[in-house]
Amino acid sequence: MRRYGSAILLLLTGAAILRISLLSELYLRYVQSGLRPYLIVSGTVLVLLGAAAGVARWRGRRSDDHDHDDHDHDDHDHDDHDHDDHDHHGEHGHAHPGPRLAWLLALPAVALLLFPPPALGSYSAGREAAQRAAQGVGTFPALPSGDPVRLTLAEFSSRAIYDSGRSLKGRTVRMTGFVTQDDDGTWYLTRLYVTCCAADATTSKIEIRGAASSDRPPTDAWVTVTGTWHPQGELGSDAAWPPVLDAGSVVRVTQPSDPYEKR
Amino acid sequence: MENRRTVADGLWLAVRTLVYAVLGGAALIAVATVVSVLGPVLALDLYTPPVAAWWTVFTAVAVQGVPFLLLGTVVSAAIGAFVPEKIFSRLLPGNQALAVPVAGAAGVVLPGCECASVPVAGSLMRRGVAPAAALAFLLSAPAINPVVLVATSIAFPGQPTMVLGRLVASLATAVAMGWLWVRFGKEEWLRLPKGRTPSNATTGLRGFASGLQHDFLHAGGFLVLGAAAAATFNIAVPRSVLDVFTGSAWLSVLLLAVLAVVLCVCSEADAFVAASLTGFSPTARLAFMVVGPMVDLKLIALQAGTFGRSFALRFSSVTWVVALASSVLVGWWLL
Repeated sequence: MRRYGSAILLLLTGAAILRISLLSELYLRYVQSGLRPYLIVSGTVLVLLGAAAGVARWRGRRSDDHDHDDHDHDDHDHDDHDHDDHDHHGEHGHAHPGPRLAWLLALPAVALLLFPPPALGSYSAGREAAQRAAQGVGTFPALPSGDPVRLTLAEFSSRAIYDSGRSLKGRTVRMTGFVTQDDDGTWYLTRLYVTCCAADATTSKIEIRGAASSDRPPTDAWVTVTGTWHPQGELGSDAAWPPVLDAGSVVRVTQPSDPYEKR
Repeated sequence: MENRRTVADGLWLAVRTLVYAVLGGAALIAVATVVSVLGPVLALDLYTPPVAAWWTVFTAVAVQGVPFLLLGTVVSAAIGAFVPEKIFSRLLPGNQALAVPVAGAAGVVLPGCECASVPVAGSLMRRGVAPAAALAFLLSAPAINPVVLVATSIAFPGQPTMVLGRLVASLATAVAMGWLWVRFGKEEWLRLPKGRTPSNATTGLRGFASGLQHDFLHAGGFLVLGAAAAATFNIAVPRSVLDVFTGSAWLSVLLLAVLAVVLCVCSEADAFVAASLTGFSPTARLAFMVVGPMVDLKLIALQAGTFGRSFALRFSSVTWVVALASSVLVGWWLL
């Protein structure tokens, strides 16, 4: 088992990466879409490396006399110990902290293979105040045509709060996000933004009012909301935050494959 | 006599086996029942939203780190296997004080986030580069490469001084740390990366594969450890506590410098996070972007794995102070 440890770990890690990037779109729950090619390449490299390591070990066992890899390996470990007086570890070469700690890699790998963690949702959105994109009041380029026009929550929010040209006025917009709510019953269309990975997620949310808002879907349900902008507060002021939408229709949808918006 | 003895022994053995089997079997059945009944209930109870979010952030940091870590270990294994021993000492100025800024500026060429730079710096030292120069490279590479600078300019549109400030402050910190190492550094703090004995197995393709495998697994474990720490802080520290500190200029700089350490946002994304921290002074945000790629929990774990724990702690704490000082100075000068 110990002989094949590194081969198994490399295969596990590579398989987990390939499972979420090549065989499904689960990687979008964790990182942004641009990383996909790199994930596929690294997954493949890791699987090949693991297979090579396994084959080398297996051959090594069959001809124990010419086991270059093993000798080589032992050499490092001894070398390591020479340099490593202040860090005393177990009696045997393999008690070295690096290789033993490498088993930690199995934790995310097995998690991704068997039960991939869900995308971040209302819990993370509720933990921090919604972020306001840092920008000043000014004019925006004209909205694309279309009725209703599809927008990201970020586009809607920045136009609602900073657009002195009021390009949202009179337009019907459609946005997709999940549901979060306040204690007083107000509910919001919410979406998280991810730049690099889920660790840097920030929130953007829009208060939903109007005719269709009375039948509030449960928290974390994904909905597509169609409606019109409800101007509120002075542009760029705190009172304009969060932006408000008068909803004409609220439709339950399945979670999109990319649960986050990109900046 | 002998015969009866063996029969009695055999009987005794049979009885003991039976008792053990019954007791053990009963215990096994009991355990299996309890686990199968309580297990799912307990698992559901433990899988609360914070725990689920922890798992997501934890996996996200690890998944995000793997390609960059692999890039770093590929470069480092290639240096180990294909680059002749003396080439770096010929390329770099012999004088260490001169070699440090050259190596720091060379950080421009490694386009990746901080996970990639640790193994590369390790293999540079293995190849006879002076530790001071390799350390300057280690600090500057993730902060001043073109990918990161472009990301910064996108995150701060219309503020080229922010990009310039980041470049200057990061490079200054890296060079200052290299010089500090030349002056005060002690070899014994550094558990030098494994010096491989030159034999035919360690060079060429075979050496490349075995070096890559060893380096990746070695660093990967520490990456996962760092990801766990980052996820824990991400879930445990609500970002709304930040609003409390925005009032004082000095406190806010300190706070963002600490936040950069615990959040472990990768250096390609930290500009966007910094940009979203409105309400903080530009200097504080600069400090966030200068400290982040040089000192964070994930990086401390990776350095501990490569260079030894006692080195990682000393080096990271001094780097933190120097990075903070340099971003305050540059911020006061440029922003």
